[in-house]
Amino acid sequence: MDKEHIRNFSIIAHIDHGKSTIADRILELTNAVDKRDMKNQTLDTMDLERERGITIKLNAVSLNYEYNGDNYLFNLIDTPGHVDFTYEVSRSLAACEGAILVIDATQGIEAQTLANLYLALDNNLEIIPIINKIDLPNAEPDRVLKEIEDTLGFKKEEVILCSAKEGIGIKELLDRVVEKIPCPKKEYNHDKLSALIFDSYFDPYRGVVLSIRVVNGKIRIKDKIKMIKTGATYEVISLGVNTPKQVEKEELCEGEVGYLTASIKSISDVRVGDTITLERDSVDEALAGYKEIKPFVYCGLYPIDSKKYEDLKEALEKLKLNDASLEYTPEVSKALGFGFRCGFLGLLHMDITRERIEREFKIDLIATSPSVIYEVTQTDGTIFKIDSPSKMPEKVKIKQITEPYIKANVFAPSVYIGPIMELCQNKRGTYIGLEYIDKTRVNITYELPLSEIVYDFFNKLKSATKGYASFDYEVIGNKPSDLVKMDILLNGEVIDALSLIVHKDFAYQRGKAITENLKKIIPRQMFEVPVQAAIGSKIIARETVKAMRKDVLAKCYGGDVSRKRKLLEKQKEGKKKMKMIGSVELPSDAFLEVLKVDDE
Amino acid sequence: MIENCYIHIPFCNKICNYCDFCKVYANDELIKKYLKALSYEIDTYYTNDILNTIYIGGGTPSSLEKEELDYLFSILNNLKKAEECEFTFECNLNDIDEFLLSYLKDKGVNRLSIGVESFNKSILKVLGREYDFDTKSKIELSKKYFSNINIDLIYGIKGQTLDDLKNDLNKFIELDVKHISIYSLILEDHTILKINNYEEIDEDLNREMYDYICKFLKENNYNHYEISNFSKEGYESNHNLNYWNNGKYYGFGLGASGYIDDIRYTNTRSITKYINNKYRYIMENITEKIDMENFMILGLRKTQGVSNTEFKKRYNKNIQDVFDVSKLEIKKDCYYINENNLYISNYILQDFIDI
Repeated sequence: MDKEHIRNFSIIAHIDHGKSTIADRILELTNAVDKRDMKNQTLDTMDLERERGITIKLNAVSLNYEYNGDNYLFNLIDTPGHVDFTYEVSRSLAACEGAILVIDATQGIEAQTLANLYLALDNNLEIIPIINKIDLPNAEPDRVLKEIEDTLGFKKEEVILCSAKEGIGIKELLDRVVEKIPCPKKEYNHDKLSALIFDSYFDPYRGVVLSIRVVNGKIRIKDKIKMIKTGATYEVISLGVNTPKQVEKEELCEGEVGYLTASIKSISDVRVGDTITLERDSVDEALAGYKEIKPFVYCGLYPIDSKKYEDLKEALEKLKLNDASLEYTPEVSKALGFGFRCGFLGLLHMDITRERIEREFKIDLIATSPSVIYEVTQTDGTIFKIDSPSKMPEKVKIKQITEPYIKANVFAPSVYIGPIMELCQNKRGTYIGLEYIDKTRVNITYELPLSEIVYDFFNKLKSATKGYASFDYEVIGNKPSDLVKMDILLNGEVIDALSLIVHKDFAYQRGKAITENLKKIIPRQMFEVPVQAAIGSKIIARETVKAMRKDVLAKCYGGDVSRKRKLLEKQKEGKKKMKMIGSVELPSDAFLEVLKVDDE
Repeated sequence: MIENCYIHIPFCNKICNYCDFCKVYANDELIKKYLKALSYEIDTYYTNDILNTIYIGGGTPSSLEKEELDYLFSILNNLKKAEECEFTFECNLNDIDEFLLSYLKDKGVNRLSIGVESFNKSILKVLGREYDFDTKSKIELSKKYFSNINIDLIYGIKGQTLDDLKNDLNKFIELDVKHISIYSLILEDHTILKINNYEEIDEDLNREMYDYICKFLKENNYNHYEISNFSKEGYESNHNLNYWNNGKYYGFGLGASGYIDDIRYTNTRSITKYINNKYRYIMENITEKIDMENFMILGLRKTQGVSNTEFKKRYNKNIQDVFDVSKLEIKKDCYYINENNLYISNYILQDFIDI
């Protein structure tokens, strides 16, 4: 197809604003999917994606659309909506010329609306703003329209009112895609191949499957290709497009979006954002925007049943095939045995990975409290990075520690300014600014240590604002902090997996809150268990879990043994999620619960 | 050969607030039909074994009228009793009078189990067992006919103090009966207490009470032979010991459980089904593995624990080769739960079942 009839675009939105439903409707209207095969969130193939209603992996689909008697080829590239996957979003946007910006008619502009819009504008995309969910009784299209005009600077006429659920406005939207989004342009004034990799996944039969956008030149089957950044070379085995069913093609031309396989065994040979060129007729320069992505949240993952270590290893290997950003290295904890230190792009990424291991591989896990990467300068001048409290050197050897900071934007109704600022202050935040989006809604900007938000910041924010706040952040670099390692002792023994790094000024308060919290979640044992928090050898907080007092079977009347057994079985079932740590039995969530403390 | 037999009489004139046992309000017509069905159940399953213990429990067996008792005992006549057969009949205090006592004695009953529950009026009120007669005189009367008597007490009731408990125990000691079963109140589902959102007693106080009971009864020469059971030398309940020794037994009547051949069964709790001779509700085949587990979880309720010799005799294996015994103590041939941990035995018993 000639380039003039191709439109490459994405749908971007704040989470839950209806991105995937819009995609569903577009698929339906272009007859890509039969009505009877239609299920919600067609492009989200993982169970977890459907359940959580979120998109984790990108998907691209090629569609045919007729406009004024002409046939157009649409390449719709779905993007994940969550902040953890910002880089993936930015790469898929780089494969487009335009984007549909979806805004919820009941909620208006949220943090990620803005963050995603900026990403799109960075990639010079043409934007089609739409207001979705206008069918809902609590929809306020007029207010939202005003917000879009005032805050985002679009004209009223540019905005399309839609309801993906009811199918309202979708035809108009597709027409607008043809009219407004430009066709692909030639990047260079030569015909050498440059293709952007914007996604990849592992297929057990075909190896790594790449999603690519041919930016310049064309690619054919049997071409010898080279990845510019990694230098890896391969021969193209197959090419094609998703409609959403895969349809094989002989070649992909300038402006087209599709998939490529080349018997690539390892996903680490390909990087999202890298550029493909031909080996013998190569371009020298990669397409702009490539970044090495590094995990910045780490936690330990351990099987509750230590016999499952090998299974866990295999599970991580399998996940890694599809998720180049997942990092893991073996780790040994005195308390938890053999496990892995795993690195993630963010909390959701961590959460999802953990849940997939538990669900798809049936391994019950203990996750230790998440940690960020600290940079330690020792007194002898050496500098190194640590991703776990256990790697912290002795206090006397430390000259300085720096920790990563983020810039956070919180969108919320202005009545919650107080609680939000209080929360940020409690999390060691520095106030940067406050901006009114309209009369009742504000964008508050703070700089916060990443470590303070890795656990329950978002939940706290939700509860402080009755769920009305949205939140977006970017990592802005490291700053020095007065940090110390705090150990937790159970029954007099340091439990390495419970150690954490805290700010000195908050240590006492944290220690107290953590020991109190542990006291609540550790079930009574056969003996009394002291729970202590210590910095070095100094105990800063102590609580006691009293000994179990009563746990007897009821009267064994009439010899009803089966009933007694059932009772015991039920109790034992509850114990399955427990892990013996030294002499103390801990619930598996204790390690995460530690951080769930009130700051009041 | 089965040597033990439990028979359930589910009828009560009043339902107690804490009771989740299988019971129905007494009704003449229903009782007659019930006894008939019971008779049929016994005829069907009983294979003429000579019985060492018979236990008539409830419900309230003593709530039956004379005619009904006549019918019941005529049914029981078909059971073959060993010479030394321990024959227990559960009695409610209000039903105790000269007539009942002499009647039971005449029919061969030689052990009474009397539900006193407490001597304290306000506690009895919480339990829904108010009455205005003198407990002591009822027991004294019973002692004229029977030397082997058990009294049931309940403790650990919200509002009860340690002193209240001490009073109850002192009153029990004054009565000088041979056996006591003393249970901490357990809040069961579908009881009046549960429905009324009864709040449970403080766990620590409850434990203090238990420790006091054990110490006090020991001082008064009662042998602590099971978690909640104490007796004078030689007056242990043979019937209950058979349960705890993982022995076989017949269970007849509504909701009763039994263990015959390799089957543990529980009867229906629906009286309608029962009188239509649909007795069995659950039947579970007991494999050797489950039997070994049961041997442990039942046997460890006894203070003397389980005998390895006995275990070996039954299963041809050593206990320590089958189970993790790290939480147990050992004395000579027996594994047992340390006295201090008896009250948290569930926690320990979980090690002995596989799920």
